[in-house]
Amino acid sequence: MKTNIAVRHLFIGFFSLFLLSCERDLSDLKPAAYPTNPEVFIDAFSPGLNYAAFGGSVPTAFDVDTEVTYKNTSLASMRFEVPDAGDPRGAYAGGAFFTSVGRDLSGYDALTFWAKASQAANIDIIGFGNDLGASKYQAIISGLAVNTNWQKYIIPLPDPAKLTAERGMFFYSEGPENGRGYTFWIDELTFEKLGTLAHPQHAILNGEDQVETSFIGVSKTIGGLSSTFNLPTGINQSLNVAPAYFTFTSSNESVATVSESGVVRVVGGPGSAKITATLGGVPAKGSLTIQSLGNFQSAPIPTRSPDKVISIFSDAYNDVPVDYYNGFWQPFQTTLSADFTVNNDRILHYTDFNFVGIQFSSPTINATSMTHLHLDIYFPNPLTTNARFKIELVNFVSGGTGAFTTTIPATQSQQWISLDIPLSSFAGLSGRANLAQIIFVDDNNSISSFYADNIYFYNGSSSPLAPTNPAPLPTHPAANVISVFSDSYAAIPSTDLNPNWGQATVVTQVGIQGNNTLRYGGLNYQGIQLGSPQNITGMGFLHLDFWTANSNALSVYIISPGPVETASVLTVPTSGWSSVDIPLSAFAPVNLSNVIQLKFEGNGDIYLDNIYFRR
Amino acid sequence: MKLNIIYLFAIASLVAASWGCNPDNFQKLDQRNWELVWSDEFNGAAGQVPDATKWTYDIGTGDNGWGNQELQVYTDKPENVAMDGQGNLVITALRTGSSFTSARIKTQDLFGQQYGRFEARLKTPYGPGLWPAFWMLGANIETVSWPQCGEIDIMELRGQEPHIIHGSIHGPGYSAGNAITKGYSLSKARFDTDYNLFAIEWDRDKIDFFVNDFLYQRIARSDVPGEWVYDQPFFIIFNVAVGGTFVGFPTPSTPFPQRMTIDYVRVYQKAN
Repeated sequence: MKTNIAVRHLFIGFFSLFLLSCERDLSDLKPAAYPTNPEVFIDAFSPGLNYAAFGGSVPTAFDVDTEVTYKNTSLASMRFEVPDAGDPRGAYAGGAFFTSVGRDLSGYDALTFWAKASQAANIDIIGFGNDLGASKYQAIISGLAVNTNWQKYIIPLPDPAKLTAERGMFFYSEGPENGRGYTFWIDELTFEKLGTLAHPQHAILNGEDQVETSFIGVSKTIGGLSSTFNLPTGINQSLNVAPAYFTFTSSNESVATVSESGVVRVVGGPGSAKITATLGGVPAKGSLTIQSLGNFQSAPIPTRSPDKVISIFSDAYNDVPVDYYNGFWQPFQTTLSADFTVNNDRILHYTDFNFVGIQFSSPTINATSMTHLHLDIYFPNPLTTNARFKIELVNFVSGGTGAFTTTIPATQSQQWISLDIPLSSFAGLSGRANLAQIIFVDDNNSISSFYADNIYFYNGSSSPLAPTNPAPLPTHPAANVISVFSDSYAAIPSTDLNPNWGQATVVTQVGIQGNNTLRYGGLNYQGIQLGSPQNITGMGFLHLDFWTANSNALSVYIISPGPVETASVLTVPTSGWSSVDIPLSAFAPVNLSNVIQLKFEGNGDIYLDNIYFRR
Repeated sequence: MKLNIIYLFAIASLVAASWGCNPDNFQKLDQRNWELVWSDEFNGAAGQVPDATKWTYDIGTGDNGWGNQELQVYTDKPENVAMDGQGNLVITALRTGSSFTSARIKTQDLFGQQYGRFEARLKTPYGPGLWPAFWMLGANIETVSWPQCGEIDIMELRGQEPHIIHGSIHGPGYSAGNAITKGYSLSKARFDTDYNLFAIEWDRDKIDFFVNDFLYQRIARSDVPGEWVYDQPFFIIFNVAVGGTFVGFPTPSTPFPQRMTIDYVRVYQKAN
């Protein structure tokens, strides 16, 4: 930073002195003219020029070089040192050269410079119009190719007439090439009147004529703004340019208006309006035709309690972190996004639909306590046939992919359709503790586009999450029982109901109508360390009472030293208390003469009681 | 740059040789009295092909790309050569993948003239590898072949230098790379953005080359290192070549389609 960032006040100083020393007739006063100095950096900073490095860049990347200069005739050049990837000083080289007082550049048609580099490279961004403020008239070239020879480069001014008080003289941003840094030099940086830039072509929306169905209240920013000139070498040079260069027009302001900055607002309808633009009097390629259907019909407002909802996309809830709402999965996905906001309600809008995925992988969603997926969808274009809309849920760690397909009657286009799909209906989805993706598929090529809103998992079970009644009272005579956990029998002394095996499960004991019940909250796995090794060869069964509303996986293990362990799968969720007597032969090859531990594995919240071996 | 220097040198030498030291003086040419004898104003309807009583075509790729390793295939299709309905003939070079089509029209066997003023008002195409030309060949080319027949290039341009045109003559002993040639460069302007008038004035002693009636080159009979073969009728040719030895090859970033837009071509004789 040091001297480079120091403000050059010299010019301003001269200017003030001049004004003070003059006596002027006030009637002669005209609007102050801005200086027209074309020079940015010839052999040094031009008067009034400042430099500031961009945040996150290497602050010292730019310096003045008196050794390597254009044709070695120039006294100094601008040197830019691009860092290696991983450089602790910053990830890239980037900064802006700007003046405190604007300059009148309307008499020029290009910013030109000579450049060379220590190796062939493509400079990510190079341009002008960045004043570290509004940067209203920014224009950039992306990926400018430089090599080890000095060459002259030309950045056309898209519309010089607009640049009557420009402060952004030059800026750049360049990261490592293939992970490695290098150096490039720029010299003789100046605005020029070339007169040999020809055939201007400008574009909005990347030159495409787009048509969109829309509603009152929708706003959308026109993007894809570019300006192309034929250089004196006969080849075309394209720039990405700021919206302020364009004059936007709506063919029907009672349907849609467009602001100076290219923000389209739908204000009326039904009806249509075509948004077009010109730059410097030249019509731009590309247009946006808004076909307004009038007032937007919002999706039904969700009413479920937030504590029973995990929201992916909804303005009614706080969404969990989502990686993206459109993964643009190449090469087969055609689906694009044209999301919009209407009356402060965000709507996902998928166009050119074949399939599209939403990902929420960091972190994944544990939906074991959820019962349903909700989503509201709307087909804005008429359906010509009944649509088969497929939804897939993907569980990342294990559990695979589950699919559910619903048929939407052709008559239900242009209205919101609310889907509430039981998670158990997703065929093939065996686990849902690590849900990471929702994928929508046009299963019979019938849907061109759709809106989506209020995508969330929820717990819709009408049954309570805890048993209201205690487990059934055991009836086996105490003499026939070796008990691990029960109010009805004496348990094996010193049994540890919550040994620390690194599990996530929260173990508590709750009283249900005075009956002590073991609760496993958020089960992943959970052990029980018997107070002493047990010989249960004289027993016939393991007895258990268990209750769960939200588990879809639960197993119980008996363990002998080794460890030798065998699982028995329990059917969940339960309706009320389930009582099982599992034959001990099912646990072979566990050594039944030396049983030391029990273990549960699965998910959800589990209530357990009357765990004992019996004859 | 090099051609600019050549041009400046040319003025200097012309000035020194002929008219003294003030550059303005050498443009004080003798009064001429021209009489229009042949023209095509190209005022047909859009899509109309050139007048068959005035123009014929070269078709195909010639021999070795018309002797110059040119890439284009010449056709007589309206997509390559037709009126634009606004008073112009447009020759369009098209790219399809890596192949190119264009057009080359000529007055051979339909019209030719010895001496006089030949002029055309036109806008050139542009871009690396584009090579438009307004030129003439000696009518005896079928019997004596090139370069013995003589060639007068009234306007040639390299698309990568759209601000420079060249005027040249080719004859026996001074053809191709050894042609007598001179460039004329516009300052802060280009030949592809506006119409310019390209002309020669030719008599038994000399050929004068003009851009917008500015004389930038005079080739006198005595300047030619070989035989002076310009005492017979010549016919007119317009074409847009793509690639070739004069211009180099088009690059992937050369914009296509490219058009030469000809407002008119007129031929005069000296009136008595």
